Amino acid sequence: MHADGDQFAAACTGLAQSVLREIAQHLATLAAKGETGVIDLRSLPMNQADRDELEEGLGRGDVEVTLNVAGMSEIWETRYSGVWWVRHFGADNQIAVERIEIAAVPEILMTHGADIAAAAARLRQDLADDSSTSKGEDAAHVRP
Amino acid sequence: MPRMSDRETIGDALARRGVSRRALLKYASYLASVMALPPTVSNAMAEALAKARRQSVIWLSFQECTGCTESLTRSFSPTIEDMIFNLISLDYHETLQAVSGRAAEEARLAAMEENKGKYVVVVDGSVSTKDGGVYSTSAGKTNLQVLTETAQHALALISVGTCAAFGGIPRAKPNPTGAMPVSDIVKDKPVINISGCPPIPEAMAGTIAYLVTFNKLPDLDHLNRPKAFFGDSIHDRCYRRPFYDKGLFAKRFDDEGARKGWCLYEVGCKGPVTYNACATLKWNGGVSFPIQSGHGCLGCSEPNFWDKGGFYNPLSTGTNIPAAIVGGAAAAGAAVGVTSALLARRRKRLAAQEPRS
Amino acid sequence: MTLLDFARGPALEVAIAVFAFGVMWRLLSLLLLPWAHDRSRPRPDAPPAMIGAARGFIRHLWPPKPFVRSFLFATLNGYVFHVGLAVIVFGLAQHILFLHGLFGVAWPNLPSGVVAVVSVVTLASLIVALTRRLTSPVLRLISTFDDYFTWLVTVLPVVSGLVAVSHLWAPYETLLAVHILSVALLLIWFPFGKLMHAFLVFLTRSETGILYSRRGVEI
Repeated sequence: MHADGDQFAAACTGLAQSVLREIAQHLATLAAKGETGVIDLRSLPMNQADRDELEEGLGRGDVEVTLNVAGMSEIWETRYSGVWWVRHFGADNQIAVERIEIAAVPEILMTHGADIAAAAARLRQDLADDSSTSKGEDAAHVRP
Repeated sequence: MPRMSDRETIGDALARRGVSRRALLKYASYLASVMALPPTVSNAMAEALAKARRQSVIWLSFQECTGCTESLTRSFSPTIEDMIFNLISLDYHETLQAVSGRAAEEARLAAMEENKGKYVVVVDGSVSTKDGGVYSTSAGKTNLQVLTETAQHALALISVGTCAAFGGIPRAKPNPTGAMPVSDIVKDKPVINISGCPPIPEAMAGTIAYLVTFNKLPDLDHLNRPKAFFGDSIHDRCYRRPFYDKGLFAKRFDDEGARKGWCLYEVGCKGPVTYNACATLKWNGGVSFPIQSGHGCLGCSEPNFWDKGGFYNPLSTGTNIPAAIVGGAAAAGAAVGVTSALLARRRKRLAAQEPRS
Repeated sequence: MTLLDFARGPALEVAIAVFAFGVMWRLLSLLLLPWAHDRSRPRPDAPPAMIGAARGFIRHLWPPKPFVRSFLFATLNGYVFHVGLAVIVFGLAQHILFLHGLFGVAWPNLPSGVVAVVSVVTLASLIVALTRRLTSPVLRLISTFDDYFTWLVTVLPVVSGLVAVSHLWAPYETLLAVHILSVALLLIWFPFGKLMHAFLVFLTRSETGILYSRRGVEI
């Protein structure tokens, strides 16, 4: 009901093209030297039309991920391998963070060493608990 | 209650609850975005946070409306914005804590003792100082006493909300309780002001998280507000700026200009002289802010915004030009003018009477 | 109290009061002086005084033919900055708001871009006027403190207004405060220097018109 930027919603500012060129530079660096890059979309004065233009320009590739920790996130690899779109949702499904990550895989998808160590300990513990509590019924195939 | 140094790290605490490091990484990328830090530092921030211990925070509430606490705690489900509560140990907060009465006061004193020199004091509400501060007391102690004694061994203070930062509404004319900002009372510790009525939740959480992550104060402006949130004026980032530049203004709240979303300068918007992140971060997770909803900025993150001549008085008008003063001055001028003319006439008459020589 | 609070508050209050006081004083002390009545007989077809006054005022809007060549530049440049100042003061929305706050009347505003262009032209015109005053040997000889100071208090609001609206060099609240203070300075100086011509020009030119229309000069 309010006229918030309705007159701006229609017009692309050309910022999407400029961001695409920046992504191209990062991707070239990734290919040549293996250095990753990140672009924070929230810091740029993009309106909805610009963001739609960028999303359309990059498209979607092989991988689409739903991440569920401290809220919901959507992550996908774009048409250009190595260019990933990372979108974190906050309260009321508002977009809290939006980044383009130029990397083999975004850092957040990689499982952290500390989590693996903690999980190893937890699994060991769970198995130990299982074998001690189950009366040997379906634990016969598990070596204590 | 364990000392800060004995507590488990933030990373371990999350792991214990089955929350993976991804939560920290997500939160770090959110903080970096909100505080305009380079996005690439989010990895390093997440590592630092994982290794840090939960920051002991003592939250003191004085002459306040609880709006600041409300602003910080708005959420319906565990979200990225709630992560702040994993970073801090809220050792004392009158509204949120379960205990009350003497047990609560003892909890506060114990937290202060165990974390001496390391706890952060968050203050909302201004401090009454008139007549020894008797106008705002708790457990028989005045706010002034509680603040001075709690600040003594604090690491730093964060004044949350315009009341704590600048005095706020209790300080508005005629300021019957002698309300004063925290920074006028505590002079020997670093005080960060996060003003706003209420402040934007990201500004509060982001600043606390910055302290925990980097163990130093963020860049502050001349009013001790973090430049990351208070560096730009509303006017500089307002989406209605093109209308201001062209001279297209809404003249009333229901006219054609208002319906078309034109600039609200004429209905009193104080955006040009107000510094806050409302135009970029917005409110309720980026939904809207006053100007987008059709009302001019009140200037609520600036000192004495209640007494700047009225919310609906445009910036280009005088704040106090009473007709009486101007009328009186004109009358006085008239009197002097008449007297001067009469004296001139008298001089002429006397000169005419003098015998010619 | 911030600089802006001071500018919008006590500074404007005092400035407007001094302006009201000063203008009333000067006008009344002048108008109530004993009038030297013209005891000569008016020429046969002399128009009534009011017509003569109006005619005289209009006639003085342009130099007489023999003087056009030497006064053309000064006349045109004068009109440029007078009209420019009027367009700025009465055309910019923020100024209309200020006057509305004082007098309760308002009118449609001009586009801000137009006023900006006019301001730049006005500033250039004022600088040219000063340059002429400094380079012409006659003008330099007869110029007083009043001439230079009045120029200064007139140019300061134009410059500070342009800087404020362009958001240059300092935070906006400081720029706005400086602009309002420069206007306060102008208002305080107004009744005591040659800016009083804003009121007196109507009296002097009309008086000359009456004089000429009574006597033998056909204008």
